[in-house]
Amino acid sequence: MNTQASFSKPEPLSSRNWFPKVSAAVVAGGLLTFGIMGVVGLLCHSDASPRTLSAQFLLWLVALVWCVLLSVCFLFRSGRQAWAVLAVANVLVWGLFFAIRGLVS
Amino acid sequence: MKIRGDIVRTYRDVHSWVGIIAGLFLFVAFYAGAITMFEQPLQEWASAANPPPVSTPFERLPALMEKLFAAHPEAARNYSITLPAATPGQGQLSWSIAKPGAHGHGPATQVSLNDQGDLVMVQDQPSGAARFVDVLHQQVGLPFPHTLSMFLMGTVALLYAVALVSGVIAFLPGLAKNLFAVSIGRNSKKMWLDMHNLLGVFSLPFHLIMALTSVVFAFHEPIFATQQWLLGGSSAHQHMQGGPRHGGGHGRGGVAHGGHGPAGMEHGGQPPVAVQPAGEHQGPSDHEPATGHDGVALPQREGSPDPALGNDQKNAAAPRTPLPPQQIVAALAAQAPGFVLDSLTYTQRPGAGVALNVAGHDPRYSMRGPVSGFAGVDPYTGKIISADYLPGHQGAGFSIITTFFALHFGSFGGVAVRWGYVVLGLGGAFLFYTGNRLWIASRQKQERKTGLVEETRGTRFLACLTSGCTLGCVAGISAIFCAVPFLPHGGTYPVVMGLYYAVFCLFVAAAFLLGSQRCDRILLVGAGVLTALVPVAASFGRQQGDWLSPVNQAVGLTSVLVGVFLLVCAFRKIRVSSQRRLSA
Repeated sequence: MNTQASFSKPEPLSSRNWFPKVSAAVVAGGLLTFGIMGVVGLLCHSDASPRTLSAQFLLWLVALVWCVLLSVCFLFRSGRQAWAVLAVANVLVWGLFFAIRGLVS
Repeated sequence: MKIRGDIVRTYRDVHSWVGIIAGLFLFVAFYAGAITMFEQPLQEWASAANPPPVSTPFERLPALMEKLFAAHPEAARNYSITLPAATPGQGQLSWSIAKPGAHGHGPATQVSLNDQGDLVMVQDQPSGAARFVDVLHQQVGLPFPHTLSMFLMGTVALLYAVALVSGVIAFLPGLAKNLFAVSIGRNSKKMWLDMHNLLGVFSLPFHLIMALTSVVFAFHEPIFATQQWLLGGSSAHQHMQGGPRHGGGHGRGGVAHGGHGPAGMEHGGQPPVAVQPAGEHQGPSDHEPATGHDGVALPQREGSPDPALGNDQKNAAAPRTPLPPQQIVAALAAQAPGFVLDSLTYTQRPGAGVALNVAGHDPRYSMRGPVSGFAGVDPYTGKIISADYLPGHQGAGFSIITTFFALHFGSFGGVAVRWGYVVLGLGGAFLFYTGNRLWIASRQKQERKTGLVEETRGTRFLACLTSGCTLGCVAGISAIFCAVPFLPHGGTYPVVMGLYYAVFCLFVAAAFLLGSQRCDRILLVGAGVLTALVPVAASFGRQQGDWLSPVNQAVGLTSVLVGVFLLVCAFRKIRVSSQRRLSA
């Protein structure tokens, strides 16, 4: 999503406005990661006790997704875009999470 | 490969800043980690002067245990039998008081019978040297309390992951051209850049694994807690307290290894399910609802009685005695041929029956822990009730996860792979060193271009810090191994820790006092001499076993190689600087 966005914009990327991008990836990205974990966890009926396979896979998933988000956050055009995209993604993922949880229970 | 110029530039900036923040921590982690590959032999080497634990033949173990439990009923709650490979048919019994809520357990007491049939108890006092290096590795060189260190380690690991991705993006376009063109010579920036690229590209898969596993190791507790909160059912919360943190890494030979350290999971992996009541099936399916508790080697310290315990525990109301160790060993040999048992650990929670966890190794498979795989065994029947972490008996899912652990620990493929990991670890440490050097060299170049005669304070600071921290770490660890033969008990943990940080701080202080021009060569000589002295100290000091034993040879040879390398670097620096002085 972000790659495309940055392609359409002629203004070149730079590392100067790193702080809003990184903070978006840490805070909003972290929240998003946990949301993804929740959705996947619900879909594979994880009961979250750490010795089960599903819980352990979710653990690795979180690490992987968060690492990727932290690495690609610099591709956002601006800090504002980073926060906006990740916030929308959060709303979608968490909405999905609560919807599935509502359906399951 | 074509990547837009501004993206490459952005990631180059990100790479240098992230690298410069994390580089020195990672240096310590990798240097100490390379040594930790052989923690167990080093532990035994360092403890050579201590009285060796006494082995008891299998036939006499039941009598010994009976005597012990009569004299010390608390011993029955947490005891283990180590099965040394050197003495088949014999076991070393030891017990310890489990500390609820603490990592690890109290010091172990070795028990045996003398010729008159009386109990002989010896407090185990292993050398702290090898374990300290392991902890140094896990906490990226930081002396802070465990929780804080883990948080900082995790942050470093995330930076490391970002550094890897950004490094790949930034240097991919020009890489094919420059990969093998290592120019050693006058242009120090070019030389460091070439070496950094070459090392980085060829060890990239190794580093990706290390970054990902380290993030998992650092943050597993908060992530599991969040999972619990989001998805947790009613039964699971007690597992959170006990589950992931204690590693169950009962090392071979009962060495206080990994899982017992302050960072349980890192070097123990998650403990296997100890008891799985009702329908004891082997060969777990991927989504098996494990209803047992997760106590492994030392579960009792977490202490909450588990309502999910099943048949065994209910039956335990009528007192039953576990099978004698000999029969357990025989039963396991029949169920898991090729799995070489290293230790049996018995634990008992209040109001529950005895749980037995075994640790062992199987050279044919990768293993969950640094030196072992695990299984939960029914102590009354000898039947394997949890094979989730048993090498060769895992389901597909657990095998995949085990592979990641094994790729971090190098616990697959035997000694050759471990030596490979030593090389990769030292190479990794050197990669971070070259990264810092590159940063300094390119800043110096820039500053010279702008007409500055003296380097700026920032550059000077980083140059001193880089030399001080990296060489201080090398020298500190070498100082430990030099001192081990002379210290009582091969150096207890606090003594070893004090020695390391004293040498480390001395080197950092010396670096700043000497200044960036001179500190390098002097500290290189210091660290090189200390490292090369390790075998000399071992031969002058107390007996470290047979002089020609493989461990002594390996320790001697490796430290001489590293020491000579450091000294050669030092003399090269001295020569270059004297040439410069002559030409000036």
